[in-house]
Amino acid sequence: MMKHRIRFTINGEVREMEVKSNQRLLDLIRNDLDLTGTKEGCAGGECGACTVLVDGKAINSCLMLAVEADGKEILTIEGLAEGMVLDPIQESFVEHGALQCGFCIPGMIMSAKALLKKNPHPSEMEIREAISGNLCRCTGYEKIIEAILNVTQKQA
Amino acid sequence: MHQFMYVKPKDITEAVRILAENGEKVRVLAGGTDLIVRMVDKIWKPEVVIDIKGLTGLSGIREIDNYGVAIGAATPLNEIIGHPLIQQHFAVLAEGAHEIGSCQIRNRATLGGNLCNASPLADTAPALLVLDAVAVVQGEEERLIPMTEFFAGPGKTILARGELLKEIRIPYLPTESKGIYYKHARTKAVDLASVGVAVLALKPGEIRIALGAVAPTPVRAKKAEAFLSGKEITTGVIKEAVALVQEEVSPITDIRATEEYRREIIAVLVRRGLYEIQKFLRGE
Repeated sequence: MMKHRIRFTINGEVREMEVKSNQRLLDLIRNDLDLTGTKEGCAGGECGACTVLVDGKAINSCLMLAVEADGKEILTIEGLAEGMVLDPIQESFVEHGALQCGFCIPGMIMSAKALLKKNPHPSEMEIREAISGNLCRCTGYEKIIEAILNVTQKQA
Repeated sequence: MHQFMYVKPKDITEAVRILAENGEKVRVLAGGTDLIVRMVDKIWKPEVVIDIKGLTGLSGIREIDNYGVAIGAATPLNEIIGHPLIQQHFAVLAEGAHEIGSCQIRNRATLGGNLCNASPLADTAPALLVLDAVAVVQGEEERLIPMTEFFAGPGKTILARGELLKEIRIPYLPTESKGIYYKHARTKAVDLASVGVAVLALKPGEIRIALGAVAPTPVRAKKAEAFLSGKEITTGVIKEAVALVQEEVSPITDIRATEEYRREIIAVLVRRGLYEIQKFLRGE
């Protein structure tokens, strides 16, 4: 009764798995699929370190049950680069040195990814709003914002 | 998290039956942004979790001819904020919904969840109160409850055992209107309201005011509204209206603000709202 068979796509790959009802999507991603790029920070929807895209939208994977992923398309930080070619957002973070300890970066990049999908040329305010659910305790926000702005300028 | 049974009913009838059979042992899962946090923190330990997302009739926004708009209880906040019907007719609700959480939270959190959670500070509540919204509740039968009667206390609604909030209906406003929502919080983003104020004006001279985080439930300031009705909005009138609002609220001291501070902020936000309304009514 407590187990559920679900089918979902993760980083382009279709998977079928058995999950427990009390397992979070974050647990499925990190523990069962070994995709540890997605981080656990606060476990309460405040810090955004666990941000992934579900059907193209940024969500906190600590606030979603694994069983709810049935039929969904999930994108984690591991799904961005193609082989050795980084996603333009990742490229820009590297170029701008937009990281310090790095813990918040997967979440920051996934929030940026969701934003740029919907709005390829966001203003600085729109970027600030899109990452308002992602905390950087090194407080390195300025470079992160510059890095995201720069992706959009390159594409312009 | 504790162990529980996860159920995804096939329709509203089945959902209502499960709710009736399980009473206190069941919790509804919509966006999960409150439920999962409380289960992780071991505040709630439901034996059954019933996932109502995706049920026909519970999601999405539709127009009701010659009436207004209906919003399914399980509609995520970001869908409401960006919807053309809401933007065009009920921008004050979009403003309130936009104040909730982060982008990630709003992609999951639902209108019904925000309301059923019944926090006195729910950011969608003041807007729905001034818009005279109606809750459609489904049990064995369907009943319509004005939003002004929906909240029963902190964390409590009038929903009985075996009842589910199905949708929120908002009637079109009969005349040209302007609605504003102000939220005061400790930080600019991703914080809970210390005070929330919605003000709505309808030409030629009706004004509605609702407040969050100032009483056990979100409230309408009926005395101030009656006083303002049909009056020219002058500085003196605003001053008296603010004093009347103060009589109608009963803020408390908690981790976000003291009672005294809340009273100051209530005065500031109501005054600010009424000055904006003054400009609108004067056609400025």
